[in-house]
Amino acid sequence: MRKQLQVWLPILLVCFATVGASAQSFRIQCPTSTITHPSKLHNNDLEPAYAGPTTFGTDANGHFLVPTANVNGAIKCQQISGGDGYATMGDGTQTYMFSFGPLSGLHKIANGQPGTDSPSEFNKLYSDSSQPNPYLQPGDPATTNGAGDASYTVGNVGFDAAGNDTSSFTFDGAVGLAKNIPYLATIYDISEGVGVNRNRVTVVLNTQTPFGIGDSVRICGTGTLPCSGPYDGTWTVTAVNINNPFLTPNFAFQFTHPTAGLPDVNESPTATASSVPGVDGHVETRPMLDVGVMNGNIPAPLMAIDEDDEFFLTLSNVGMIMRPDLFEQHTVHFHGYPNASAFYDGVPDASVAINIGGSFTYYYLAPDAGTYFWHCHITPPEHLQMGMVGQIYVRPRQDRVAVGGGLYAALQQQQTDARTACKSSADILCSNPLPPSNTVLAVSTIQNGGTSGGYAYNDGDGSTYYDVEYPIQIHGFDPNFHFVGMTFNPEGFTDMKDKYFLLNGRSYPDTVTSGPMATQSVDGSMHYSQPLSAIINIPAGKKALLRISDLDVTEYQTLASLGIPMKVIGYNAKLLRDQAGNNLSYLTNSITLGGGESLDVILDTSVARPDGTAYAAGQVYYLYTPNLDHLSNDAENFGGLMTEVHICTSVTNGMCQ
Amino acid sequence: MRATNMKNSILKTRLLAAVVAAMLLTVSAFAAAPGITGPTFNLQAAPAYINQPDGQMIYSWGYGCNGAAGGFLPSAIAGASCGTMQVPGPTLIVTEGQTVTVNLQNNLPVPAGNTSILFPGFTVTPSGGVQGLLTQEAIHGGAVTYTFTASTPGTRSYYSGTQSDLQVEMGMYGVIIVLPKTPVAGTACTNGDLQASNASAQGAWGEANFTLSTSAYDNPNTCYDREYLFQFSEMDPNIHTQALLQVNAILACTAAVCPTLQVPTEPYHPAYFMINGRSMPDDMDPNYAPQYPHQPYNGDPHMHPGELVLLRIVGQGRWQHPFHEHGNHVRILGRDGNLIQSVSDTTSLAGPLLFTTTTTPGLAMDGIFYWTGKGLNWDAYGHNPASADPSAKLPCTPDGNGYNTTATSAINYYEWCQDHNKPLQSKPFGDVAANGPATLPDANILTNGAWYGGSPYLGPNATLRSTGCSAGAPAGSCGATGSTPPSGTIANSPSDEAGFAFMWHSHNEREITTNNIFPGGMMMMMLVDSREFVIDETN
Repeated sequence: MRKQLQVWLPILLVCFATVGASAQSFRIQCPTSTITHPSKLHNNDLEPAYAGPTTFGTDANGHFLVPTANVNGAIKCQQISGGDGYATMGDGTQTYMFSFGPLSGLHKIANGQPGTDSPSEFNKLYSDSSQPNPYLQPGDPATTNGAGDASYTVGNVGFDAAGNDTSSFTFDGAVGLAKNIPYLATIYDISEGVGVNRNRVTVVLNTQTPFGIGDSVRICGTGTLPCSGPYDGTWTVTAVNINNPFLTPNFAFQFTHPTAGLPDVNESPTATASSVPGVDGHVETRPMLDVGVMNGNIPAPLMAIDEDDEFFLTLSNVGMIMRPDLFEQHTVHFHGYPNASAFYDGVPDASVAINIGGSFTYYYLAPDAGTYFWHCHITPPEHLQMGMVGQIYVRPRQDRVAVGGGLYAALQQQQTDARTACKSSADILCSNPLPPSNTVLAVSTIQNGGTSGGYAYNDGDGSTYYDVEYPIQIHGFDPNFHFVGMTFNPEGFTDMKDKYFLLNGRSYPDTVTSGPMATQSVDGSMHYSQPLSAIINIPAGKKALLRISDLDVTEYQTLASLGIPMKVIGYNAKLLRDQAGNNLSYLTNSITLGGGESLDVILDTSVARPDGTAYAAGQVYYLYTPNLDHLSNDAENFGGLMTEVHICTSVTNGMCQ
Repeated sequence: MRATNMKNSILKTRLLAAVVAAMLLTVSAFAAAPGITGPTFNLQAAPAYINQPDGQMIYSWGYGCNGAAGGFLPSAIAGASCGTMQVPGPTLIVTEGQTVTVNLQNNLPVPAGNTSILFPGFTVTPSGGVQGLLTQEAIHGGAVTYTFTASTPGTRSYYSGTQSDLQVEMGMYGVIIVLPKTPVAGTACTNGDLQASNASAQGAWGEANFTLSTSAYDNPNTCYDREYLFQFSEMDPNIHTQALLQVNAILACTAAVCPTLQVPTEPYHPAYFMINGRSMPDDMDPNYAPQYPHQPYNGDPHMHPGELVLLRIVGQGRWQHPFHEHGNHVRILGRDGNLIQSVSDTTSLAGPLLFTTTTTPGLAMDGIFYWTGKGLNWDAYGHNPASADPSAKLPCTPDGNGYNTTATSAINYYEWCQDHNKPLQSKPFGDVAANGPATLPDANILTNGAWYGGSPYLGPNATLRSTGCSAGAPAGSCGATGSTPPSGTIANSPSDEAGFAFMWHSHNEREITTNNIFPGGMMMMMLVDSREFVIDETN
């Protein structure tokens, strides 16, 4: 037997070494506890109420700072696919895209909400959730929601008119996540001791044991299959490095069995010791591809995080089915991230790019509050034009100040943490110095227990409060470029000319369709191609925050408000405030953005209209482009960059009541 | 593989070759905001060919020096020259309050007709020449003189005021920089002794100072440690071809009545998108590089953490370009030499903070950028107190703003101390500590970029340690953990530079191409370098 082992051992070791080095390509990361957000101090599934700046001590070795109290923020995770897909233009044309799609938060994305999740939601297994289908279907969630049925009409799933969720599909966890067995080893010998040791089982593996004292170990195959042998079961390791008559001590470990007198099982062809299956980021490839392939969205999945969060964003490159000739990598560029690292900046030239079949988890500590956006940075004139653009915004710490708390005092408190302080004299790039002293108190926001509302920035005076918020992304598609992009021909960049002008991936009149728009892909299944409506519903007398970003790659775009003045409160993810603390917000009726810019606008219906009358439910206003040639859908001389603003009695889940 | 991709790889090969060649020549970075000094400038307008990375030579008109230049700044830049014509024109450097005299000689070909220069923002007294639409013009072979007082500090554009749609397109534009008369320096700056401390850090590594002044304006919030000038313009090669054909035809004409120059400038269809007259990757070659005799200025910014970097950003063509600075925001100080001040306190700045600075034709912006790595939530230097490497165990003593500024000669001068020693990765990674939040994937599923420093860490010491390749590491350990030291990253060597590279580019992404070829156009890589890497702007 020894000889045989000598033959097997090197082979086994080689196999293990290979597995260890190459790991798996697709994988997910969403820890439940980190240095910055230790679970023992903090429930990382919730945004804690603001209680002041985090206090720090040092770690056990005295090497680095760890939080000791007032942990702010939480852990957030999201997974996206990089691949291709189809979208429907305002004239009915189906346009091919290189695109990102959701691989987590599928239900939320389909409902027009950010797909960003807390660890407990993200790490939930599909098999543990109650879904109509036992397995994820190609095209999900559109498939399960019936988007392929004959009765399906555009935008009829999601929230109904009353704001009730009508989705059949409610799963928001990470697609593909499955339990993993990190360690699996064959057993050379398993036996019990005698006398006082008669309940002590010694297991000698055919390889070095990966188990430590206290680890759970699952024994299987020591008798009748499956797992009904005398030793079979899940046990806790009591000792390691055991001297034994067979192999070196580091091949052996022990555990306690309640039954004494079990037979020695030597050289069983079936006996194995494994770790207990658990969630460790391992994914099954089939659901990843069933859901991820041809599932591109425009805009790419919406993301929203809170200041002080740690954000784990996994990009899984599922390949582009329509372009088998390409071996395109993809990346995520978090556009506007201050003091970025080159490593997670997503520029392939300056970092790493993710090959087909691979995943990469981007890691960010949430930057200062503001409206940012993200996009692929591979061959930008191509991948951005083809549709790989999305939105991300960061909500301010101020949202978490308890109702009735002083906003000025909260901002003042954060001046004591060097990371969040804004001293104009020391930091020329900080934008929210203390405003004039005031006694404005925090009101209800989603993050402090309310059902709606929030602040766009840490203003310290409530000046950026809004009741409802809408991300609006401006983009343009050149149908000729997209056609060439679907074929195998060289693309011309100087001739690029947008013919479709998009708000949240839709051109008018699709912009005013509620619910997700679906498009049939070449695989015959329907996919949610444009989940995000562009209707602006404002309760009469309330304020709407428009988080506007432009990722057009060819020209500047103007968006005008026909009726309600636009109050510009932020620009390029920074509060409009001068170094002395003066408010620099301004009123306008149009804004102009180049590709790669963002801006925050508040439409305020709490003030009187220019004629002195109040805004009232039922009124309709328009956002449209005065670049009149952009009010078209290719050959159709009607459509393009336009949407409607509805004044409502109230708004439930974005639906006008 | 598509034809564009074929071109891509060819261009990339060429780009890398160019970078390697540049490195062989000088082993350094090249930048600053070079120009010629006055206050009297003898200029001429003349034709020449400028070259583009697709190999095309483009017939152009531009301003150059008429005789020897009065002087060059920064003085530390050797090999400065000012020829008969360059695109952009010579950067004119003067001091606030000086009386500036510009003598312009028209050496354009006869068919080009008259020419002139406009200096928007100044009260100009022209003399000589002939009356034109907007100012006095120089006829072919003739001259004209413009005199004005450099009234306020800042960056402004100058350009032709004669048949501007054609002449500006042909390359007749440049920049005039007015330095403050009483620049603020040292402890008079709002940020206290930061300038002195940054200068001390530069001095500790033998770095020269290449700035033109200590502050952009007569304002203590405008102090800076490094500066760069970027001029954005685009070219429609058909216009240039047509101009050349017509000029030659008219010059060769022997008939009694010859045609006049009638170059259509519409429809406008630009194919070249340039920064300082060069398209990427040429813009990252040195200033005054001999291969670009008529495009002397580059765009190759480098900086160290914590340095305040003045960006002088100018729109020179006829389109707007959204210039996106990766890495951080830019505080706009002023536009066209007008400082933007707070209404309640004129010392305080009121210009916007932008991550995309839109260039507009004729408009110049001054802005300040910096990078510190604050808030990354891991030690960007990969420090590890358990390491055997002394450089891995440097202390970080936070100043009042949280930065390590006391030891100006340390590699980690200006480190963000709140993240000091804080690990990024869950498993040990070379000689970098474990227990962080992130797990880096198998390097085999990733593709490395040419500017990838090799790890998530800043500086050669950190990068080599993290990849197990530092001196004294066990044989065979190199590259065994995490990212391999990428063999392809010759533009940002893991062993020599390992900076954090950030792409600065037009975000109307179509413009980061050169005549239909990606990559190219309005793009460059900005490098944040660890202090170990000596930034040398002498070329």
